[in-house]
Amino acid sequence: MNAPAVTEKAAPRSERSQSRRFAGWREHHGWSAATSLRRLGGRPLGTLMTVAVLGLALALPLAFYLLLANLQSMGGALGQNPAVSVFLKADQTGPQANLLAGELRNRSDVAGVTIKTPQQGLDELANLQGFSGAVHALDDANPLPWVLVVQPKAGLDAPAVNALVEALRGERAVDLVQDSSQWRLRLDALLGVGHRVVLVLAALLALAALLVVGNTVRTDIASRSEEIGVLMLLGASRAFVRRPYLYAGIWYGLFGGVLASLLALAIELALAGPAAELDRAYGGSLSLGALPWWLLLAVPLASASLGWIGARLVSARQLRKAA
Amino acid sequence: MIRFDQVSKRYEGGHEALSQLSFEVAAGEMAFVTGHSGAGKSTLLKLIALIERPSHGQIVVDGQALAKVGRGGIPKLRRRLGMVFQDHRLLMDRTVFANVELPLLIGGIAPAERSRRVRAALEKVGLLSYERQLPDSLSTGEQQRVGIARAIVARPAVLIADEPTGNLDPQLAVEIMGLFAEFQDIGTTVLVASHDLPLIKRMHKRVVVLDHGRLVADIPGEEVL
Repeated sequence: MNAPAVTEKAAPRSERSQSRRFAGWREHHGWSAATSLRRLGGRPLGTLMTVAVLGLALALPLAFYLLLANLQSMGGALGQNPAVSVFLKADQTGPQANLLAGELRNRSDVAGVTIKTPQQGLDELANLQGFSGAVHALDDANPLPWVLVVQPKAGLDAPAVNALVEALRGERAVDLVQDSSQWRLRLDALLGVGHRVVLVLAALLALAALLVVGNTVRTDIASRSEEIGVLMLLGASRAFVRRPYLYAGIWYGLFGGVLASLLALAIELALAGPAAELDRAYGGSLSLGALPWWLLLAVPLASASLGWIGARLVSARQLRKAA
Repeated sequence: MIRFDQVSKRYEGGHEALSQLSFEVAAGEMAFVTGHSGAGKSTLLKLIALIERPSHGQIVVDGQALAKVGRGGIPKLRRRLGMVFQDHRLLMDRTVFANVELPLLIGGIAPAERSRRVRAALEKVGLLSYERQLPDSLSTGEQQRVGIARAIVARPAVLIADEPTGNLDPQLAVEIMGLFAEFQDIGTTVLVASHDLPLIKRMHKRVVVLDHGRLVADIPGEEVL
């Protein structure tokens, strides 16, 4: 009969103890965060140097990312309407050109066909700087052929466009086929390589950031070995002793990440003027991009996580040595 | 209470610091451990605080068999002990208050309670007015008293001290020992390692004498002359 009463009385005490333990744990986190921040502030030059190294290391992949994103955007804008120019043989006449154009329009992989007469070709040539003299020298003779500008269907992939080009080359009336989408494919391939390079670079620099924080925390722990010894003699657990150093890693990473985001913004601002000029030169069709806001926020958070990991990796081993 | 049962400690290299040592300090008792340099006094205290493990034998502190305390349990055991060191081991970049507060912070005591207990401990050792000072600005005797306040602030069941008066003048040494006696009066088990025989004689407390790691005498307080 007495047992339940004891349990009933013990339960609230146990809950109070649990709640107190949690409150103590929370307080120590607050204390550790504040203490580590104070320690960082206590040696401003060293902290600034570490944060600067982290900031620069993390800003580099961001800058490359910005560059690649804009190149991709430019490539997209310039290659929005890739066309295939089909030069007919010199003996082909207007009605024959119209006939072939009609046949091509019926193909499922063709969006449209525009016919350029030899005269239109000559006029375009005459308008090009430096060619007017040469055009006048031709007198009335026009050596240019009829040209069909074939617009492939939107969304066609590279092999499908290649198949269309090969089919056009196979036409009896066709002399030469020029595929303007080829340069876009090459640019995409180059951008793909660039993206991979940025990823590898980001991974390497993240590793460097991890090592920088780890080494800084390692020296910090080594310089405080006496304090760590005292804390452990007083009954502090390893987790208790380690906590301020983990927060130091978080602070280093966070500040380094904020600096990297600010540097990336500064680079973006520095490039904004020339980029606007370029955009104007292409009639405002380039739509040059900026770094997305989520990336600017994610960098400090990811960097803080890296700092925590770096500090955690070294602190366990270092504390064993220091204690 | 503290109980040693056939305890030996042999360090790597073969040096035997303690040999077949058996004695018991009852709960609420105060005792001195004395002997020449190298007699094993410090090793004995290190075994109690689990800084070292015995090579043979059993040690029980405050009802806890130390052989059963794993690495993870060491902090918990140390939180039940108060430790005073000859060199104080104060953190010089923290105030007197912050130094004394450490065991309570480690124990997860609430801030208001911490503040109250730290002030009570500092008042007990007569240093309440120094709470905001850094230890560097205090005399050696005052620093030792800060160390004592830190040792007793968490109200430990057992208080151990390793040569706590080693750096102090005789008058201060008597004052410090008087403080230990006061803690005994409120039920704390106190074990002090000291080689200061004149001081030990003045205290009229039990004396355990070691020689080359062996117990050579165990003199009750009333027989100490």
